[in-house]
Amino acid sequence: MNNVIEFSEVGKRYAGEKNAAVRRMSFGVGEGEFVCLVGPSGGGKTTVLKLIAGLEEPTNGIIKKPANVAMSFQAGALFPWLTAFENVALGLREKSMPEEELARTVDRQLDMLGIFQYRGKYPADLSGGQRQRVGIARALAVDPAVLLLDEPFSALDPKTTAELHDDLIQVWQRTKKTIVMVSHLIEEAVSLADRVILIREGTIDSIYKIELPYPRRENIGFHHDVMHIRKEFFK
Amino acid sequence: MRHSRHIHHASHTFVLSYPLSLSHRLYTIVLGPLLIVALMYVIYSAYPVFAPHSSEVVSFSTMAQGALYTLGRITVAYIFSLIFAVPLALLAISNKTLEALLLPVFDVMESIPILAVFPLVIVVFLQFNFLNGAAIFILFLNMLWNIVFALVGGLKIIPKDIGYVAHVFGLRGFSYIRKLILPAVFPQLVTGSILAVADGWNIIIVAEALHSYMPGGTPAQDLFGIGSILVSAAANAQNGIFLTAVLIMVVMIAFINFFVWQKLLHYSQRFRFE
Repeated sequence: MNNVIEFSEVGKRYAGEKNAAVRRMSFGVGEGEFVCLVGPSGGGKTTVLKLIAGLEEPTNGIIKKPANVAMSFQAGALFPWLTAFENVALGLREKSMPEEELARTVDRQLDMLGIFQYRGKYPADLSGGQRQRVGIARALAVDPAVLLLDEPFSALDPKTTAELHDDLIQVWQRTKKTIVMVSHLIEEAVSLADRVILIREGTIDSIYKIELPYPRRENIGFHHDVMHIRKEFFK
Repeated sequence: MRHSRHIHHASHTFVLSYPLSLSHRLYTIVLGPLLIVALMYVIYSAYPVFAPHSSEVVSFSTMAQGALYTLGRITVAYIFSLIFAVPLALLAISNKTLEALLLPVFDVMESIPILAVFPLVIVVFLQFNFLNGAAIFILFLNMLWNIVFALVGGLKIIPKDIGYVAHVFGLRGFSYIRKLILPAVFPQLVTGSILAVADGWNIIIVAEALHSYMPGGTPAQDLFGIGSILVSAAANAQNGIFLTAVLIMVVMIAFINFFVWQKLLHYSQRFRFE
């Protein structure tokens, strides 16, 4: 499998910070892989995602990544003055896509995420789950080589989270996109990803290959992979 | 710091002042004129010397025309304030160094009493025989900082993730300003504008009755408008004209509030981040 993302000895220290957020980190993400970064708060997970997205520049080391990377943020991060349709169209308009093709692309993404009927609604009129779906549709609309998800389910109730997990797996299997997601829930990481990377204090603590068939939701909390990662997490 | 008070003020004015129901909004339109009439009645009852008398000659249509002239000056000054405030606010928060440098400068500029510079402004504009320019410039200076500080406050509360979205999806340069910055600060722009225009009305009397700031000036050099009509009426004890002019001004402000600002406040709710 070709790596679409490659970190070689990457470090990141924010200005004015004593400790580096990311230290000499090396790992790769294969094409079409679903990787989940887990770890304690402040461990550097989100910084890794920002480095991949180009939102931050590494202090040292080399990052190999494709140019077209899209990201979905916590709580959707939608523009409140734009409808669901216009939010999804945001990136496409910057690419000057013809209006007819744009409408087709946006509607296809909205349909895939099950929110086509809300295309004319503003974010304030959408539920948390619907906003998150719009955020993911916006990221998928630009047809990225890599989809980054920053704790996309952290603000949602368990039922909505479970529904979105199922939909995300379906979208991933259908689109074959490379996905890198940050989560603070080990169960979530194991139920979604085919590789889980435990990040602690800016370095990779351990990497776990999850070889379970989908769907994995049932009793995932007691699975030995989850128990093992949890043990490492709290070590 | 004075600017932080302004930001605070601007961001809260919206929440506190937006009347949601139509009846409440209508109430605000009649409340001002009613209060003025009641106040005048009380004053005239207590001090008959201030009551209207019959030797007054300015017609209602002249006063209404004066009010429109005044509104025109305020509108032009407001448009100039907007044009200058947006780049000033953007410049001030474009990086930490400029912010540390410019915000205290803005603070000092805002603190300078506008009347202190008025004689100088008049002298400059007299060179070009453009007294309307002097009035508009003074109104502009009085309005500008309200909008600048409101915008700075608005720019500072744009969520970080929203900025990241703009970066990830390729919003750059003018597109970034048009599609993110301007809509994001729209609520603060509206509240700042309300404060700015209110400040404009506050200073209009001085801005139009500018002869007292001119070396050897006479009332003949005043600009025609509701402000100068008020000053002239007060100076000549034309109490009826004075009362009518005050009422015209209050009614006009109430209508602008009802048909412009309240509508914009309502519309701006859609632009607020949760």
